Amino acid sequence: MNARQDPVSRLVWIWLTLLVLLAVTTASAYVDLGAGNSIANLIIAAAKAALIALFFMHLRRSDATVRVAAGAALLFLFFLAFLTFGDYLTRPMHPAPWRSPQESTLNPHAV
Amino acid sequence: MSSHAAHFESDSHRHETAELGMWVFLATELMFFGPLLLGYAVGREMYGQAFAAASRHTDVVIGTINTAVLLTSSLFMALAAAAVRSDRTRMTMRCLLLTAALGVVFLVLKGFEYLSEWQEHLVPWADFRFEPRLRQGAGYFYYLYFAMTGLHALHLTIGIVASIVFALRLRVNSARALASQVGVTGLYWHFVDMIWVFLYPILYLVERHG
Amino acid sequence: MSSHPSRAFHENSYLHGGFTLWSWLTTRDHKRIALLYMISITGFFFLGGAAATIIRIELLTPQGDLVDAHTYNELFTAHGIIMVWFFLIPSIPNTLGNFLIPLMIGAREVAFPRLNLASWYIYTLGGLFVLATLLFGGVDTGWTFYTPFATLFSNSNVVLAIVGVFVVGFSSILTGLNFIVTVHRMRAPGMTWFKLPLFVWANYATSIILVLATPVLAMTLCLIAFERITRIGIFDPSLGGDPLLFQHFFWFYSHPAVYIMVLPAMGVASEIIPCFARNRIFGYRFMTYAILGIAIIGFLVWGHHMFVSGQSMYASVVFSLLSFLVAIPSAIKVFNWTATLYKGSILFASPMLYALGFVGLFTIGGLTGLFLAAAALDVHLTDTYFVIAHFHYIMVGGTVMAYLGGLHFWWPKIVGRMYPETWGRIAAVVIFVGFNLTFFPQYIAGAMGMPRRYHVYSPEYQLLNVFSSTGAGMLAIGYLLPLVYLVWAMFRGKHAPANPWQATGLEWQTASPPPKENFETIPENIPSPYDYRSRTRS
Repeated sequence: MNARQDPVSRLVWIWLTLLVLLAVTTASAYVDLGAGNSIANLIIAAAKAALIALFFMHLRRSDATVRVAAGAALLFLFFLAFLTFGDYLTRPMHPAPWRSPQESTLNPHAV
Repeated sequence: MSSHAAHFESDSHRHETAELGMWVFLATELMFFGPLLLGYAVGREMYGQAFAAASRHTDVVIGTINTAVLLTSSLFMALAAAAVRSDRTRMTMRCLLLTAALGVVFLVLKGFEYLSEWQEHLVPWADFRFEPRLRQGAGYFYYLYFAMTGLHALHLTIGIVASIVFALRLRVNSARALASQVGVTGLYWHFVDMIWVFLYPILYLVERHG
Repeated sequence: MSSHPSRAFHENSYLHGGFTLWSWLTTRDHKRIALLYMISITGFFFLGGAAATIIRIELLTPQGDLVDAHTYNELFTAHGIIMVWFFLIPSIPNTLGNFLIPLMIGAREVAFPRLNLASWYIYTLGGLFVLATLLFGGVDTGWTFYTPFATLFSNSNVVLAIVGVFVVGFSSILTGLNFIVTVHRMRAPGMTWFKLPLFVWANYATSIILVLATPVLAMTLCLIAFERITRIGIFDPSLGGDPLLFQHFFWFYSHPAVYIMVLPAMGVASEIIPCFARNRIFGYRFMTYAILGIAIIGFLVWGHHMFVSGQSMYASVVFSLLSFLVAIPSAIKVFNWTATLYKGSILFASPMLYALGFVGLFTIGGLTGLFLAAAALDVHLTDTYFVIAHFHYIMVGGTVMAYLGGLHFWWPKIVGRMYPETWGRIAAVVIFVGFNLTFFPQYIAGAMGMPRRYHVYSPEYQLLNVFSSTGAGMLAIGYLLPLVYLVWAMFRGKHAPANPWQATGLEWQTASPPPKENFETIPENIPSPYDYRSRTRS
């Protein structure tokens, strides 16, 4: 919320870019890219979020404290996801002795 | 407002304080959505095929239109913030009302979507019907679908109410007096938009091509 | 510095601006809100304590003769929920923190005074839900609400209790938010980060945990409640969910919650010890790094609650290693407090007795935590009284001792009157002895294999349990003493000067009790913290 601000035209350009990215992500979903579909979706979503944060929310011009506040939640959400998935992805490799053998895969009935 | 503004040294001190407060609040909001997002990731890991099948039952047309509606509403909110900082009271008011109107459009479309999902028996706690082989995973998906979109809609409703309230208050207050409040409402609105930007691909676009 | 506050200043104190109940319930003064919290959490402390008392009486004998199994479950659940969320977590931050942070940083208010009051109302609303839970027959899941028991099998008021905890969580979040913004944006000119008292640093780090961890708990509780109501969810294995996912989410909050409780306690100790050792705190910068280190690493260790839950063995190894890492910043703090005493001129006043008790008990609790962090040993110790003893050393031996120490230290500032010193020392000793008598035998019983959460036990443990219950009685007396004499001192104690301990820190530069606006003029020339060498005791 400083005195300097983006001109209206730039905000409109950002909006148009966001709509183009939306079109790209929707179109890409109809092409079979295997795992690439999800990766493309998430990268595009992250790009859109970054544009919104940097321009609409002025993160580009915010002071360091605000940037740290914005980054902190991302970092800690990453911690939560990383360690939880660390459990899920390695759980079937080496079942604990007190688990029954049938349980040793993530979920045998899952499809 | 003046009653509790006394402990701030200046307007810019007040703006900076409100801005940081909102960003910290948004950090908590992101963590609040965290278990849903992670629950989704775990479910997709366990039930990949069922998630894809379930996702294909969502209404991608309404979903896409709604995404565009929200992105546009964010533009108007950004314009409102720009207007308020240059003291253009009427312009701020118009932009806020347009933002709120687009928010209402989103909710109405979402309502139609919920209605058709209810008619198609896709609500997991009300006579859920799905291909038996994929039923469990699809139920998991739709549970999270309603939880995430419902929570998002709740946040959006709060944003709409705030936008309208500040637009109405601009009839009596100057833009200068409400600059902090409008700026902070904008941050909140953009955050709600950002959440949707992630919900859209993970809910509507899973293996659409299949 | 005059030893008697001028009469005019006293009239202007925050306590004198309106005496009506309404003026208190609508106040935005952080000092008054601190007192509102103090009254509320004291009520909950004695309520939780009453549940503990019945538990300890029941455990005097191996048979279940006082209460039945179901009632016993409800008792320890009530004890846990009340003590964790309605006493320990708000204890130091919301009372002493609310009162002192603006004073310590040279501000007239917190950043968002109305939000501060709202946070107390939210706390009260959450408290009412929990009281309603107790009135309607309690809840028997344990404070951890483990699924599928909480979602599928329990027949008690799970949803009501969850709503209470959910609501009180928002009070934590708003307080944390307020403190973070206050410390960033409201510091007096010249109050740089490395001039902040460690109490402020500790509460700042605590606030970071509050705002980042509490929302995860809130959402998880929503999911549990929803799953219980609709029988649809992502945690129940019979619905295709995974109960371990719940445990991950729950402990992502609830392990850092331990640091929410103990970091502010460390902050209190860091204020008291230099003051009564008349010495600069040893390694100030390292203390700040250790505070932040504990707050951050504390987020990465939650899996040590799940070693026997069936989580991946590899995850267990990583969590075990990370848990050992937390010991490093914690040890830095203990060493630095000890080094602060070295060549100091130590005065064993009541606050100092509590603070030293805190250091000792926290050390024992921390070291036994290392036993539990070792995955292999934890297989034996999980769900035994060893765990109970461990976390009570941290939470009661640590946090409650420090809270009481802080209350004594700042009581002259808060109420403007001195407490009776002799009684203060007697209570500190009674609490210290009573605490150890209560909980040390539990380490032994736990190592021998006595499981937690049963109202009957095998007779070989009876002697240890009799010790423990006797200690609990002593502890109860120890806790009632300050309640009586601190309240007495509020009305009858002798008037306190602005700085009775000749302490550093801006809060001592204003009158006791402080004026409504905290300072007549905002202090300039901020001194470096803990500059005790240049001062002599009067």
